[in-house]
Amino acid sequence: MALAKLEQLSKSVVQGPSLATGAVPTKDWMETPVIFKEGNFAYPAKQEKVEYLDSQDGLSFPNARIWSPDEDDWKLPENWQETILKGLKERLDKFRSLKIFMDCCVRCGACADKCHFFLGTGDPKNMPVLRAELLRSVYRNDFTLAGKLFGKMAGGREMTVGVLKEWFMYSYQCTECRRCSVFCPYGIDTAEVTMMLRELLHLVGVGINWILEPASNSNRTGNHMGLQPHTFKDNVDFLAEDVESLTGVKINHTFNRKGAEVLFITPSADVFAEPGLYTAMGYLALFEQIGLDYTWSTYASEGGNFGLFTNNELMKKLNAKMYAEAKRLGVKYIIGGECGHMWRVIHQYMDTMNGPADFLEVPRSPITGTVFENAKSTKMIHISEFTADLIKHGKIKLDPSRNKHVKATYHDSCNPARAMGLLDEPRYILDHVVPDWVEMPENTIREQTFCCGSGTGLNTDEIMELRMRAGLPRANAVKHVIDKHDVNMLSCVCAIDRATLSSLMGYWNPGCDVCGVSELVGNALVMDNEKRAMGYDAEGNESELPDGLRTMV
Amino acid sequence: MDLAEAFRNYEDKVVDQWVDYTLSSYKSSTFFKKGPDKFSNPVGGNTREALGKLFKLLTRGADPKEFVGPLDQIMRIRSIQEFSASEAVAPIHAVKHITREILAKDSERKQFIADLYDFEFAVDMAVLAAFDLYMQCREQLYKVRIKEIKTGTIILTDSKCPSNLLNKDKGDPVQIQV
Repeated sequence: MALAKLEQLSKSVVQGPSLATGAVPTKDWMETPVIFKEGNFAYPAKQEKVEYLDSQDGLSFPNARIWSPDEDDWKLPENWQETILKGLKERLDKFRSLKIFMDCCVRCGACADKCHFFLGTGDPKNMPVLRAELLRSVYRNDFTLAGKLFGKMAGGREMTVGVLKEWFMYSYQCTECRRCSVFCPYGIDTAEVTMMLRELLHLVGVGINWILEPASNSNRTGNHMGLQPHTFKDNVDFLAEDVESLTGVKINHTFNRKGAEVLFITPSADVFAEPGLYTAMGYLALFEQIGLDYTWSTYASEGGNFGLFTNNELMKKLNAKMYAEAKRLGVKYIIGGECGHMWRVIHQYMDTMNGPADFLEVPRSPITGTVFENAKSTKMIHISEFTADLIKHGKIKLDPSRNKHVKATYHDSCNPARAMGLLDEPRYILDHVVPDWVEMPENTIREQTFCCGSGTGLNTDEIMELRMRAGLPRANAVKHVIDKHDVNMLSCVCAIDRATLSSLMGYWNPGCDVCGVSELVGNALVMDNEKRAMGYDAEGNESELPDGLRTMV
Repeated sequence: MDLAEAFRNYEDKVVDQWVDYTLSSYKSSTFFKKGPDKFSNPVGGNTREALGKLFKLLTRGADPKEFVGPLDQIMRIRSIQEFSASEAVAPIHAVKHITREILAKDSERKQFIADLYDFEFAVDMAVLAAFDLYMQCREQLYKVRIKEIKTGTIILTDSKCPSNLLNKDKGDPVQIQV
């Protein structure tokens, strides 16, 4: 009797019409079509942005039009199938890694439960192995003998509109964070499979606005925001004034200065959006205190590279801008700010795209004399490497008690952690700038860090629910240290993280703020001739900068 | 032997079946049911932890206000997944049926089915609390979205920065406030 009721309960609600979850699959994955509805897809790129990108030298973004994924007709070009298959062939010939990734997967499943999108949705097509299979099945059908002979029996399938739609759905439910790759015994970089899927989709005009608009802005004015030089300069000037009013120390920064020793490049979000701008204030204070001979650039005014989320041609073009500016200004090397995917581009692709940067010198800290051999080829070092080295040599005075309002934990931003191995420097800095900080559980940090859930251009509000699902594994680990250790600050070294984790905390863990590590450095930094402003702490008592660089005065 | 003893005796079994039923609502639930800890398996781990705590509260006549903690742990997750409101809340009900079924199979204890009124009323209270939490989570989600739009983390596109004013979009007259 009771069991019958339970079955009825299941039938009435649990097996109702549900998209990614809620119903037990009764069909093979190949026969389960994707359904687009408001909230489960990012908006397509605006026609004029695609037209602009297509008009640029060396770039190809065909089929600009007004379309929407939730309409049946995607207005694909007539020969779209041929274009996709030709594009796949070109890429298989050009990228040996892709050919290997297509051939060598043994479907062991080690990656299956490692993806934050799978863990948050329970959708099997978000298992990295199956996401790759979306492409691999087409590869098998058209490019392998077994597939040509046996088709579906050999795991092959024809390239259809349904398959294309599935590619769009799931290549934009992957943040290319590469956590799955850590566990793959064959070293398959599933992020590169996603990159190929997105490249192929762009060949027929299928892309999202939140990636292509910043990318076109970056190509046009040098940064994602589309800030023109005077605006970019004004924003940095404004932050420098803020640092002065808080610390009493005048900041002497310069723009586009030829002959400076160092070119400093950071994500433009750091000079425009909270909480990143406090991180930028941290950079300004640090460089002022050590007297670094450096310049900002209004031309290379963006560390981020949305080309990485688009195609290799655009990635190369946007990356080249940074080096062209370094050459024009005649600097010795580049220091990069707290950015995520900029470092993946620098560390993994720059050398073969635009490098080696022979016209620059191997970075050498003018303060400590340390030569950064690790950046011998790219000539670009991370602000955390640079700062940790300053601390190691006792070249800056830090007072951790100035961060006593902060109980921090540290989120390893995917790209710096997994794509460049920056694991210990930010931790070393934290050890010296805050009174106390704690680690999240070990299977959620360092190489195994969980993504913020909104990387690779998925930080757009129309897919907020999807982002919250994908960010669950990260937020869940943060909740643990909040409950156990009263953590109130999630620190990180990535501008996208600073934006996305703020929203993620807003849903999962309200009350936990997000900051860059350099903000905490700026808070703790003891500057020469400083005269720190007074403010009111949470209890209403007057004290010096009770909220560090965030203090309202 | 009484109902309390029957609950204690079958607590693990009821909770196991309750967790299994709840996780079966996911398309690919094998890992969620088996995954070792709540950090590598947040949905499965939190569901198991929350339902375990909730069962204790339901069977011990706890104040319904205490249900909110474990219910939040589970509803915060289900509220942003692709469930309808009823699908999100439904598994909370299931414990009534599971408990009856298990007791019915035990000839010594099936007499206690008649005493389940208080327990089932507590489950009803939990279901109502779960629905409140579902709504609170949805509202919070939209607030987060609105905050993102208002505070400028959306600034990458549709930016209101001065240089964008120069960028005349089709049909969008540039308005400069004085």
